[in-house]
Amino acid sequence: MPWISALVLLPLLGALSMLAVPAGPGGAVQARIHAILAAGGTLVLMAIVVGMFDRDVAGLQFIDHVDWAQEAGLSWDVGVDGISLWLLALTAVMFALAIMAACWRLPERPRAFLAMLLLAEAGLMGLFAAGDLVLFYVFWEAMLIPFYFLIGMWGGEGRARATTRFVIYTMVGSLLMLVSIVATAFVAQDITGNLTFSIRELSGVAFTDTQSTWIFAGFALAFAIKLPLWPFHGWLPDAYRLAPILVTGLLAAVMSKAGVYGFLRIGLPVFPEGADRFAIPIGILAVIGIAYGSLLAWRAPTMRLLVAYSSLAHLGFIILGIVAFDVQATQGAVLQMVNHGIVVAAAFAIVAVINRTAPDDRIDGIGGLADGAPRLAGVFLIVSMASLAIPGSNSFAGEFLILTGVFRQHAWLAVLACAGIVYAAVYMLRLYQSAMNGPRRGGMASKAELRVRDLAVLLPLIAAMLFIALWPKAIVGATTASIERAVAPAQVAADRPEDQIRATVEADPPPEALPLPGDPVPETTTTTPAEPTP
Amino acid sequence: MISVLAWLVLGLPLLGCVILSLWPGEPDRRITRVIGVGFPAAAFVLTAIIFVTLLGRDAEDRLEIATLWNWVQSDGLSIDLALQIDPLSVLMMLVVTGVGSLIVLYSTEYMEHDRDYRRFFAEMGFFLFAMLLLVEAANFFFLIVGWGLVGLASYLLIGYYYDRPSAVAAAKKAFVVNVIGDIGMVIAAFILVRELGTLDYGEVFATAPEGLGAETGVATAVALLLFVGAAAKSAQIPLHTWLPDAMEGPTPVSALIHAATMVTAGVYMIVRCNVLYELAPYAGDLVAIVGAATLLMAATIALVQVDIKRVLAWSTVSQIGYMIMGAGLGAYDSSMFHFLTHAFFKALLFLAVGIAIHALAGEQSLDRMGGLRRHLRLTHAAVLVGCLSIAGIPPFSGFFSKDEILATALDAGTLGTVLAIVGLVGAGLTAFYMFRLFFRAFWGPEPEGGYAHAPHNPGMAMSAPVAVLAVLAAVGGLLQIPGVWHPLKDWLEPTLLADPGLEATTGGELIVSIVSVALAIVAIGLAYWIFVADPERRLRLAGAATGTRALLTDQYRFDEVYEEALIQPGRDLGDTLTNGVERYGVQGTMEGVVRGVIDTGRGLRVVQSGLVRGYVFAMVAGVVAVGVIFSLVMR
Repeated sequence: MPWISALVLLPLLGALSMLAVPAGPGGAVQARIHAILAAGGTLVLMAIVVGMFDRDVAGLQFIDHVDWAQEAGLSWDVGVDGISLWLLALTAVMFALAIMAACWRLPERPRAFLAMLLLAEAGLMGLFAAGDLVLFYVFWEAMLIPFYFLIGMWGGEGRARATTRFVIYTMVGSLLMLVSIVATAFVAQDITGNLTFSIRELSGVAFTDTQSTWIFAGFALAFAIKLPLWPFHGWLPDAYRLAPILVTGLLAAVMSKAGVYGFLRIGLPVFPEGADRFAIPIGILAVIGIAYGSLLAWRAPTMRLLVAYSSLAHLGFIILGIVAFDVQATQGAVLQMVNHGIVVAAAFAIVAVINRTAPDDRIDGIGGLADGAPRLAGVFLIVSMASLAIPGSNSFAGEFLILTGVFRQHAWLAVLACAGIVYAAVYMLRLYQSAMNGPRRGGMASKAELRVRDLAVLLPLIAAMLFIALWPKAIVGATTASIERAVAPAQVAADRPEDQIRATVEADPPPEALPLPGDPVPETTTTTPAEPTP
Repeated sequence: MISVLAWLVLGLPLLGCVILSLWPGEPDRRITRVIGVGFPAAAFVLTAIIFVTLLGRDAEDRLEIATLWNWVQSDGLSIDLALQIDPLSVLMMLVVTGVGSLIVLYSTEYMEHDRDYRRFFAEMGFFLFAMLLLVEAANFFFLIVGWGLVGLASYLLIGYYYDRPSAVAAAKKAFVVNVIGDIGMVIAAFILVRELGTLDYGEVFATAPEGLGAETGVATAVALLLFVGAAAKSAQIPLHTWLPDAMEGPTPVSALIHAATMVTAGVYMIVRCNVLYELAPYAGDLVAIVGAATLLMAATIALVQVDIKRVLAWSTVSQIGYMIMGAGLGAYDSSMFHFLTHAFFKALLFLAVGIAIHALAGEQSLDRMGGLRRHLRLTHAAVLVGCLSIAGIPPFSGFFSKDEILATALDAGTLGTVLAIVGLVGAGLTAFYMFRLFFRAFWGPEPEGGYAHAPHNPGMAMSAPVAVLAVLAAVGGLLQIPGVWHPLKDWLEPTLLADPGLEATTGGELIVSIVSVALAIVAIGLAYWIFVADPERRLRLAGAATGTRALLTDQYRFDEVYEEALIQPGRDLGDTLTNGVERYGVQGTMEGVVRGVIDTGRGLRVVQSGLVRGYVFAMVAGVVAVGVIFSLVMR
């Protein structure tokens, strides 16, 4: 059974099936059934994959490989390893919850809305499963289309401008990535004699330092904009503010992981030398992002902006964990991707609930809701604490692993990042206290009290938080082999001590790719212009 | 069996909290009472069984590790969800569950008039769970988890009256200051992981002398960073400002969290990490100096406070200063002794004063009290026991424990001598401000215009805990009598792995006892002279030294300085970034890029012929061109 292909194609099928649904009230019911079957089916498949996953295998598992155009090196190539496993699971869970919530209260044009959600799911699933650069790129771009429509058609006031900016800005980044992908394949062909886009095969190719650096830079810019890494986050506030809040939740919970995933899947294993050169600059940007996002969240006028900027800060921690080239930090980063997805989704769900009684979203417009909404107060408290990573929460487990690892490599970066933890307490308490505590400042608590449909979204998320807080090993343990392998090349490039490198780096370049005797050996240094090296 | 009991002790209060929180609707108050008191009391009984079991064993066999599961394993670092039962943790557990049970019992009556009855007991249960996790944890990670969760419990209970803006602000302040402390501990943990590769107490303490080295920078850094956590939690300079504000919480909360247990967590942690502090003598000295400075500062502030709970709050800061000073000097068992007696007499004082506050319907100002002894006779006696104890009058408990710290300090080199003198001065001040409180509230004339509410005597639920604590505060000091016996020290011996074995000389004991008792008696007499002998004298004296009084009333203006120097600049920076960098830099750059793309598109409109083959050609050509360029350039 081609499990992973099914994971990608089932939501796509669901989206296409919406075309067969008639318009009108009867169609809404049908559309719901289609959407729930597709998203629920994906979730079930995902659960089976998690169950069958072999934790001791470092490489991709469940590979589905179909050659497309062999001469051009194109193929359908998907699979899963310890890193993508949890991102696929996160995507499946989040979209299942989102589609459930959407079905509970359908917006206008329900068929299109649900179809777009399913397309977005298919895009993200494909992105996290792709084992091939071209496929990765196709999904990277494809995912933008449903999000473009979701924001553009169902978003708030001023959305046209925001979507244009979001799409064009991200596409500028992706164009550079396309150039980098093409360059990677051609340069690798020069070295090995094979034209391939397979990430597995490219991982062993010995690019020169300069090649590695430039190609990595092209990828990095695309990832940085998508992430977003400070200061490339220009699109984020408007997109998060104007998207329908369900979509905002998905952007923050799932799509924001695409950039980080790119670094970990492509950046580090394929271009270790380039990654090594950019590691410290990216780390510094991440730390600036942590402080910057936290300060802006502290002063943000609206709830959505506050959560949006807090998300910027949290992603700073995650990317910092990746560029430390430390197994522990990277494991923390993967754990934190899952945690951040869960927590930020819950945070936006709560903002959505409060917006029922405070439609203008302003923080200073509400207050004292705890009095009439005790359930909301309790759930919101748990989510706030998870968001500010109180010791004992799931986020703390992630941040602790990240920072322990970062500290081992670059103590100063970890110490600077710690300042962000204080700010997190300040801004999250500001949000929680001004909404829930103090004297009543407008807003009807009874309207904001959690109803069954809110609890249906929030309780699974909280259960996941508690589970991870109690036993993060469930997540972390499955990532060990894959992360050790993914990080090892960068660790070698960065001259890390032997005892930190836990996986043997594959023959470099792989023996079968070595040029035969008599083949012209490509001159690697002479034709390269003398670029300045950072 | 001990392993199971240890987890039960930890789990019972949490279970109570969960049941109360999830109870559908508002449970009957009787049910709330049974759960709210029953679960902590059961935890106390189980702790007592653990204690007796350990007591029956040889001193070397009193250590048990109860592992539930492996929590995480990553790159050589393995963290177990595990508890450590040893004499030190059992001592803490006894106090936490014992005093905790008494205080929740007291609360059943104290909180009677409150509408959120259930929430109070749920949050108290959560606190007990977090505090027990803190003291039972078997590694630094879960120490930090407990550390953070007691901070959360403290936040919730300080902000219990959440519609009161002052309580909300106080809760936030307590939380944020404690997060600063958490970060100190977290960074210390990073260093331990990097240098030793483990966070288990046993392994850390066994390998630290080799792995960190004595008197090295790393060892000092670890000790100091841990102390940042201790200073935040235990309200030591400069992170002490949250504790007085924390008095916004209900009085039982102040008694349990902000007097008897949580705020002494810093002392527990230093004693637990005695190996690390012995490796870093300079850090230890600094800790002792901070403790001494804090005790003196807090004692002076307590002299002028009008809010009765604030007097007690500052006295708590000051008394913890003694413990921190003792721990910093290496007198670990004396510190723990003072922790124990302080838990008794400070809980007693808060609960007894709480009776007065309750009787006056929430009145906390000393100006609105006076003459209460005629109405609340038993309470008056209980407060007197507490005051005599904290003032160090023999044979009450504070005398023995405080003097043990000071006598040990006196013989601990020059620094110790200086600090002992500071401690003696502090002892005199303590006697004065405590009896100022006592005389102003319970003696003297009744306030002009009468009481806010006719005082009434408390019921059994409030009286019984006070009576028990009064007995403990009166006789608790007999646990360690210099030259006669020292069972507490012997009990703690196995956990004090690096005990420097400081001993007070008999001469030192004598000097300290005589001087401290003499100072205390003079101070009590002075208080009597000012506040009772002639009530007008207080008002006449109030005119003197207004500048100093204002400084003390403003609590040395730490809050103002922090606001000016740290918080407001942070807000300003946030606003500057929002309105400058974000708007023009980040958004502007994006705007530029996007505009550039759009304009290029406009310019290239000519190419948009509408012919598909033209597009296809352009696309293919583009890809090929890019590929060619790259394959040429990037060899």
